[in-house]
Amino acid sequence: MNIYDVVLKRIREIQTKTEEQEPLTNISASSTLAAEITLISSLLIALVMLRLVNTVLMIVIVLAVFVVALTFMPIMPRLKREQNDSFNSMIFFVIVALGIIITLFYWGNLNV
Amino acid sequence: MIIDTQLASLFTAASLIIIGIFAVGFLDNLIKKVIGLAFIGDGVNLFLVTLGYKPGGIVYIYLPSMTVEWFAQNASYPLPFALVLTSIVIGASTLAVMLGIIIVLYKKHGTISASKVLGDNGEE
Amino acid sequence: MNPLIPIMVILPIACALLLNLLHKKDKTIKILAILVALTIPIIPLIASYGTYFFGGYAPLAENSAIAQNLPAFITSSALNVFHPAITYNFDSAQKVMVFILGLIAFLAIFTSLNETKKPSGVYAFLMFMGTAAVSAILLTDDIFNLYVFFEIAAITQVGIIVASKVKNNYETALKYMILGSVAAPLLLLGIALLLGLTGSVNITDIIYSLKNGVVDPQNPVLLMACGLIVFGWLYGSGLPPFHTIKSAVYSKALPHGAALLQAFSVFTFVALGIIILRIFSFLPFAQIVIIVISLLAMILGITMALMQNDFKRIIGYLAVGELGYIGIGLGLGTALGITAGLFQAINEAIITAFLFIGFGTVLYKTSISDTRKLGGLMIENPKVALLVLLAGLAMAGVPPLNAFQSKLQLIQASISAGLPELGIIMILISIVTFMTFMKAFYTIFMRPKPVELEINDKNIPKATIISMLVLLAVCIILGLFPQIATDLLQVLANSLVI
Repeated sequence: MNIYDVVLKRIREIQTKTEEQEPLTNISASSTLAAEITLISSLLIALVMLRLVNTVLMIVIVLAVFVVALTFMPIMPRLKREQNDSFNSMIFFVIVALGIIITLFYWGNLNV
Repeated sequence: MIIDTQLASLFTAASLIIIGIFAVGFLDNLIKKVIGLAFIGDGVNLFLVTLGYKPGGIVYIYLPSMTVEWFAQNASYPLPFALVLTSIVIGASTLAVMLGIIIVLYKKHGTISASKVLGDNGEE
Repeated sequence: MNPLIPIMVILPIACALLLNLLHKKDKTIKILAILVALTIPIIPLIASYGTYFFGGYAPLAENSAIAQNLPAFITSSALNVFHPAITYNFDSAQKVMVFILGLIAFLAIFTSLNETKKPSGVYAFLMFMGTAAVSAILLTDDIFNLYVFFEIAAITQVGIIVASKVKNNYETALKYMILGSVAAPLLLLGIALLLGLTGSVNITDIIYSLKNGVVDPQNPVLLMACGLIVFGWLYGSGLPPFHTIKSAVYSKALPHGAALLQAFSVFTFVALGIIILRIFSFLPFAQIVIIVISLLAMILGITMALMQNDFKRIIGYLAVGELGYIGIGLGLGTALGITAGLFQAINEAIITAFLFIGFGTVLYKTSISDTRKLGGLMIENPKVALLVLLAGLAMAGVPPLNAFQSKLQLIQASISAGLPELGIIMILISIVTFMTFMKAFYTIFMRPKPVELEINDKNIPKATIISMLVLLAVCIILGLFPQIATDLLQVLANSLVI
């Protein structure tokens, strides 16, 4: 069983778990894979910018995120489930974002 | 202990906003959510009005018998009152539109439960 | 004092009200709407630069008639330069942006009048009101005036969805309104905090107070105000966590409505982003937040676009993701970066409108927006397919089209600002954007037509084709001669850096 089959099997597992009725076509599988790779690679590249804060911290965090991302593959179906159209999840994320922004502005500016 | 009017208003404004955010986030009834939104708007309006408050200040109407110096020292700050009027009008129109949409949704779904009406209904 | 400056806002509002009065007189409405819509992009081209004080109340320093009767303790204080009136600023950057907004509004109104064949009703009214509101957001120098028009724009956006008669549009409209009613009062709270600190809602005055020591810039209340205004900015432009609702809003509007709605978001994004940069430029943290949010918007937007099956939703998420490029340009904080970001904003508004109108023809022919049920439309109409393909190429940044120039400038700016990682991510996201577009394009136009798909015989209106050709022409002109726009935008960028 090569890696592609493993990933496909995992996607199928997650899809049955989330009870999605969509058939798993070539197009949807490849776009899920592409989204997965885009997500992980752009996240890792963005984390490299932590070098401006501290080089050692950057290496540790990039490696840690890489390992975590690999073990939790595939992330995309779960991420999609999080960002659904249900109002309750939307308002939840909005309130969380409000909290994070206010906290960060207070904490970030008083300490930097 | 009697606290200062301005401080009390500020506390009221803050608690109105927090209660409003709680109501929008955690109550299921759509009308209650809208009441929560009205609370947030009112809290902010109260905060704006409080900014213009001046202990012992006079209405900002300049009469011929006043000197400019005396008027500048005693008049309360007029700008927030002008702003809050506009803000109340906007808030009222937003509420009206929201309640109108809720009426339509109630006719369609037969319920005003947010998790049923505004849930993720499978379509994309 | 230039009377043409307020006309940019007043004319669309007056026209909108007049259209309601003329209800049912279809022919008059059509002629009037097209004439006024055509005038909107022309006014910024002929208006000269300057400021406009509503009511004519210039600052005391410029208004000696009033100033000479006032005691010295007023004229010698900061009040001497404060702006008592609502002030509109019209400069070269505003000229480009109001022109592009007007152009998109004209094309959207022009296509909608020809596609829906029902000129009466609230739809054209809402489009004009929204255009007026966003023009005011771009022009105003008064942050409370901005809030008022911000709310008007939000209500018109909801109105456009409700008037669209798309399935489940009321649910999406209510979700957007509730989220907006949380975010907009908090934006107002941020404005109120600024007012409480500085005593003025004029942005130039606020900056004057901060720079000249009237107010202590390290005051923690300012941090709170900045956080709240950033939160309102997220809502107004549909950045995460509002990206799900914003893309749903685009997908519930008719294609020409969506083309206009995304232009509203782009220009609200730019206007508020510039204000955050102007007022809070002394907080380096604000720029970091802008960059982080933009990165998040790009990554979440593009990955969610890949996972969708509805083509309106795909373009909706792509539109949200593309906002990230503008944000990165603004967040870099260099003159080059801000110019590139503003240029990207203009390009994105044009290209996304192009895509929405282009894919709208599919909806017009089949009434289906699910890509899984579509196919084989290339044979039906190869010319439209070619135009849509060109729009996709423009969005991905293929030379000689316009987004190539702005994306190139953005990458150069990020490298020269010492953050090449941002450049790499932008290239990566561009490639994936093109892949997402090709996925939608392939399933709709190129693969064999499914048996059960019914295509009606209605011809695509000429107005739609003309709109697409105009947008293509703008794309090519800006792609070949980017300095037309960048020279004008650079003035604003330079003033932001100092």
